[in-house]
Amino acid sequence: MKFYLSMIVCVFVLCAQGLAYGQETSFTVGPQDESVSQQIVSSAKATPDLTSEDQSKTASNNPTDELSEDYHEDEILEEYAAKIKEEKVEIADPLEPLNRVFHEFNDKLYFWALKPVAQGYKAVVPEPARVSVKNFFSNLAFPARFLSCLLQADFSGAATEAGRFTINTLWGIGGLMDPSSGKELNLQKQDTDLGQTLGVWGVGQGFYIVWPVFGPYSFRDTVILAGDYFIYPVSYINPWYASWGVRAYEEVNATSLRIGDYEALKDAAIDPYVAFRDAYAQYRFKKIKARKTKLTLSAPAAQQGKPADAELLNKEN
Amino acid sequence: MKKKILTIYFPVMLLMVVSALAIPPRADASGLFGPLQTVSREQGGLNTAVGYLYHEDTYENGESYRVKQNEIYSQAAYGAKNIWEIYGRVGVSNMKLSGIFASSDHFVETSKDDFEADWEFFGALGAKVFYPINAVFGVGAFMQGTYYFTDFSDHASITSGGVPIKTEMKFENLWDADFGIGLQAQLPCGAKLYAGPYIYYSEADMSLSSDWTGTEYTKKDHTVSNQSMAGGFLGADIPLIRGFRLNVEGQFADRFSAGLAVSYTY
Repeated sequence: MKFYLSMIVCVFVLCAQGLAYGQETSFTVGPQDESVSQQIVSSAKATPDLTSEDQSKTASNNPTDELSEDYHEDEILEEYAAKIKEEKVEIADPLEPLNRVFHEFNDKLYFWALKPVAQGYKAVVPEPARVSVKNFFSNLAFPARFLSCLLQADFSGAATEAGRFTINTLWGIGGLMDPSSGKELNLQKQDTDLGQTLGVWGVGQGFYIVWPVFGPYSFRDTVILAGDYFIYPVSYINPWYASWGVRAYEEVNATSLRIGDYEALKDAAIDPYVAFRDAYAQYRFKKIKARKTKLTLSAPAAQQGKPADAELLNKEN
Repeated sequence: MKKKILTIYFPVMLLMVVSALAIPPRADASGLFGPLQTVSREQGGLNTAVGYLYHEDTYENGESYRVKQNEIYSQAAYGAKNIWEIYGRVGVSNMKLSGIFASSDHFVETSKDDFEADWEFFGALGAKVFYPINAVFGVGAFMQGTYYFTDFSDHASITSGGVPIKTEMKFENLWDADFGIGLQAQLPCGAKLYAGPYIYYSEADMSLSSDWTGTEYTKKDHTVSNQSMAGGFLGADIPLIRGFRLNVEGQFADRFSAGLAVSYTY
């Protein structure tokens, strides 16, 4: 079920990177998803924004000559290039032939079953209702996020999650609404899971594996799939087929909110399998890096300054 | 000006409260009525609340039954323009009827005296309108209906002359309807004080069945309703932080009920 979730995540990652194949898409990417390549584009755009008057003022205030400015720009570009090189994450794929078969199976499952059902559902259920359903399931998934924060020693994140769950359950009509994310309360969802927890602990991602129905995972995240299953309350609905029915409904609802994204990525990629694989690896790397950065910033000053990125990259590879 | 407003409206408000409390009612309603004016944003929006009410009531049909309930509920409301609101409420309630199994006959022993039922679900729908008289005072009206989806039931063993009898009592299809009017005063800190009278009707099917050595020998069904139909309410709605508000309310009929709710305005 998480296959499509992972796919959409891949969409965002690839869009954020301007797509490795140099093609543009219509997706909008939030500031938090801005990649290094986008930063380069942004910085390149920022410079011409200066008016000639501003530039002359700058020149008159700074006695450095144009040559040194060029050198400075080169240094910046080299720095960004180094970052790009540093963040290039690859994942071992010893099961590629089998993975491609499962990738194709999941692709057909999406186009032949999930998408038509989601389109029908979208036609009859208004968007606010579907967003509320999404909020409800997101609220139910609180235990995994809470436990992950605790296991990462991110106590402020755990407290935020506990607060969100309490407020959204009581004043959000059982989680259908999300008042916690509003301007006044500003308790944002902690974007973490048990797979990221292992990553933060230093466990490498292992090899790439595509599961039928569930979608792309690394070996590390596959192990965690079971853990996520056991701490998701929906898993405990009896009988078992009711539980899977609820999960299927959750997936249909989620898909109805993002129809078209998967298609866009697939159409943009020369080899969709490779595109999804690389995007998955990049996405997970960035998530874990973000968690590590957050923990590093909240850690005592003595622990700061460690080359966390390089260390993480080595582990990931 | 302020003094004049107080001079004019305070006696009216006081008269309403006094008249409400002076009526000799025998019943009250379930759930907080809340402030007469919606707490939703003026351009229209949701507000939600979580509330608790300790509630006492008296039902009758030949005999009188004093009912005690603890109610916990969640409410969603939509209001606009500071003048109207509709709301829905779901919650759970327990029930206790004191001394209903007790017997004055010394030869009859009962396993317990009180009827005590576990938490059962209820739902309520309501609407309120408000008319501001000026910046401080306004009058409003509300109506609210409540229905209990599940039945309250309890068992007791009665021994009469050495013969054990199993008795089951049920309180079924309980519902109520309320209509009230009131006066509200807005304080400078954003708090709202409100009070007024209300009328009320509640009804339930009450059944008592007993088995004597496996044979049903007694079954008694009848409808019970509240003894009287009027009461008064008095409450305050106080702003807290970050969009939350505290609502405290008392309702008085033949018994006193009180509760509180914390609401959040989207």
